[in-house]
Amino acid sequence: MKKRFVFRFSPDTVKKPLMSYLVREFNIDVNIWNADISYGREGKLVVELEGDENSIEKGLAYARSIGVNCSPSIKELQFNREKCINCGSCTSVCFYGALQINQESWELNYDPEQCVVCGLCIKACPLQLFSISREEE
Amino acid sequence: MKTIEQINEKIRNGSAVVFTAEEVSRMAETMTPAEIAEEVDVVTTGTFGPMCSSGAFINFGHYNPPIRMEEISLNDVPIFAGVAAVDAYIGATSESAFDETYGGAHIIEALIAGKDVKLKARAKGTDCYPTKEVQTVINKNTVNEFYLFNPRNAYQNYSVAVNSQKHSIYTYMGSLMPHMENATYSTSGELSPLLNDPELRTIGIGTRIFLGGTQGFVSWYGTQFNTQKPKNKYGIPTSNAATLAVIGNAKEMSTEYIRAAYFEKYGVSIFIGIGIPIPVLDEDVAKAVSIRNCQIETSVVDYGLEDKPVIGIVNYGELRSGTIRVQGKEIKTGSLSSLEKARKIAEELKKWIKNGEFLLSQPVEMMPKNSSVKGLEQRS
Ligand code: SF4
Ligand code: SF4
Repeated sequence: MKKRFVFRFSPDTVKKPLMSYLVREFNIDVNIWNADISYGREGKLVVELEGDENSIEKGLAYARSIGVNCSPSIKELQFNREKCINCGSCTSVCFYGALQINQESWELNYDPEQCVVCGLCIKACPLQLFSISREEE
Repeated sequence: MKTIEQINEKIRNGSAVVFTAEEVSRMAETMTPAEIAEEVDVVTTGTFGPMCSSGAFINFGHYNPPIRMEEISLNDVPIFAGVAAVDAYIGATSESAFDETYGGAHIIEALIAGKDVKLKARAKGTDCYPTKEVQTVINKNTVNEFYLFNPRNAYQNYSVAVNSQKHSIYTYMGSLMPHMENATYSTSGELSPLLNDPELRTIGIGTRIFLGGTQGFVSWYGTQFNTQKPKNKYGIPTSNAATLAVIGNAKEMSTEYIRAAYFEKYGVSIFIGIGIPIPVLDEDVAKAVSIRNCQIETSVVDYGLEDKPVIGIVNYGELRSGTIRVQGKEIKTGSLSSLEKARKIAEELKKWIKNGEFLLSQPVEMMPKNSSVKGLEQRS
């Protein structure tokens, strides 16, 4: 199973090593999608966890037991493709390769698989065609 | 040597040979200018980019009893009321009193789309115009005239924007990431109208053009028209130079080619679609329309610094590849104008000419030969 979660840390829980514990004890593969976290402050991690369902459940239970708030992330980039004028402004701020202009047809290609929901394209699109769907708390 | 009248004759009898500027640039890889001049009659160009200096005149028709409108808003966007009783000018960049992301451009787009728009007008009331307030709903079929009149469009080249500072900045050139992480550029390169006629030999006042999906005209030289910019060895100015003022019936336009935009923390702007036909009168014109992306250079400007220094020169071949190299750094590029739409415009114009629906025009007057741009100084 592969699923995305948002981990929220309080200033105290930030100090505890969580990711390595998940990997070691529960055999979960962790892929960090977005991190806004620093030592001694509140923070947020968007991670993709891969492993069997049972281990992921146990891993999440452990994270909660040490005070980390975990919620499944359904945060996704919404793109109103129909209105796109294929300018390409958004491609210059997408550093993950999710937005690319086709060199031949000059049409925008959006690949949700590559998107890490960093949100930079939201401000870069002059037609305001991107938004982020609300995260489940 | 051909004349515009001879070319028009060919358009009328369906024998004119028309190519887009991109097609001609490819042909020029194996053909000489003399051969191109012999073979091709018209070259079509196109651009679809944000052009802030745009707007539309509108005449609402008289109310009964009449009102001399002195303060007007459309969907709460203030529009210019300082012309006669029911004439007004919708400036594209005027912003709503309640939503900075909505403005004149959105009103123009809504009206073109045939949508209803809320009109509020106020006046002091006079003997001949007694009404002091009107609130109603209008659309393009209820008003008299509604035509675009854009003071500065179709820039001949434009600089590339980067930002060397530690924080992001938000400009009319889009989001500029810190430490020169990205670069944005505009204009459609070898397809761009004024880059295919760098000396403005064929484009002048009165030239019939494609504007927003219908036929329009060049009405004047654009504001900040500049003939003094340095040129490269192909005769191309390497930063923003000539401009055009254009006019056309907005009632006939399409939202496919006119689109409202909002640039983060900058404001409202409007995408305008323009296509200009270039008559291939002789070898010199043939040479000019053969220009290729790799020959069109433009300056890279650091928008992060107050005096906006030029920090490099790149060409459109490099810009289109997705990365440029400036001061030894690889920078990701993104275009503000849409090449895909610019191509559609050049193709559409080509179709009109081939079908005999669009004739070329001899300019009534040519553009100024010596024009520079002044700044604004503090005086008393
Ligand atoms: S949210 Fe970020 S990663 Fe996703 S498409 Fe936009 S810029 Fe790219
Ligand atoms: S910036 Fe917006 S309009 Fe332009 S290509 Fe990207 S999504 Fe499309």
